[in-house]
Amino acid sequence: MKKKSRYYLLILAPLVFYGGCSTHTRYVEPTGPRTIVTSEINIQDFSYAAEDMVKSLLVSGALDDAPQQPSILAISRIVNNTTQQIDTDMLTKKIRVALNQSGKVLTTTTMGIGGIAEDPLAQGIQQEKEFYADKKEPQRLPDYSLSGKIIEKRDRQDNVRQVTYSFQLSLTDGNGLAVWEEEKQITKQGKRSVIGW
Amino acid sequence: MKRNIQLILLVCFLISAASYSSCTTVNTVERESPVGTRQMIADKRVVTDSSLNKKVSIVGLNESTTNGGFLRVQIEVLNRKNSMQNFSYLIEWFDMNGMLMNTPASVWIPRQIEGQETLTITTVAPTTTARDFRIKFIENVRKN
Repeated sequence: MKKKSRYYLLILAPLVFYGGCSTHTRYVEPTGPRTIVTSEINIQDFSYAAEDMVKSLLVSGALDDAPQQPSILAISRIVNNTTQQIDTDMLTKKIRVALNQSGKVLTTTTMGIGGIAEDPLAQGIQQEKEFYADKKEPQRLPDYSLSGKIIEKRDRQDNVRQVTYSFQLSLTDGNGLAVWEEEKQITKQGKRSVIGW
Repeated sequence: MKRNIQLILLVCFLISAASYSSCTTVNTVERESPVGTRQMIADKRVVTDSSLNKKVSIVGLNESTTNGGFLRVQIEVLNRKNSMQNFSYLIEWFDMNGMLMNTPASVWIPRQIEGQETLTITTVAPTTTARDFRIKFIENVRKN
């Protein structure tokens, strides 16, 4: 009897050992349907918002009114009014890439808020080129600037918790007029035990 | 024996009551003869999940082109069930050579559809060179 139990132990021990080591971590497609959903802004939420924004902007035809095609876009301030620390590039980069691929827009990386360029080296090269070319005309200024805000609103009723994220974007032309505006809301609901707030 | 039958009947009643309570269907009203004419397109369907096909049944596809030259597609889906259903969809775009066009905005998008509701999904091609599309549907597999 004792011998038998020892054999069982020998068989089960490695299983327990290997089972204990497994972390159950796996790769998932970041744009796929198996990403996790929490009450926070998840990676897919930025994708949903970007997809909607790009679609709306392309359909509006606002980009077609620029004097030169493709038009030049400068990225202005995207205010994060949520309780979370998020990098707004998670949203703007997706929009920039999609607009760039559409062939309608080129984004400037040498202009930014407060004169801070996204790419200081490119800005230096551009200034040097202008200096040596003895250019009288200033560089081509952006036709549009993109600004926006991300807002969070939390509600609860009994043990149901709800959080809504509003992604708001505006495209302003050289005359200071908002030629395109859009808002995308993403609402998540859960019970207290699941969402945990 | 009598008690058992009573118990079974009670369980059946509770199950049916629970299932009926979750049924909420949508009533609609629209113009009898619509003014706008849709440009419906013939489609090819591959159904591997028949249960999903009942929940998200494709009614038809129509397309148009935006002023900027982007292809715009509208998919009308109908939930043939009497209760709310969750599903996700993905739209793939192909160029003139049939090559897939990857964009950062191409993502599985979750949607909800109420019982007997007709839902319209509208999408716009990422570039003016997109010629074809494929729409995929899946039941929600996300873990909450």
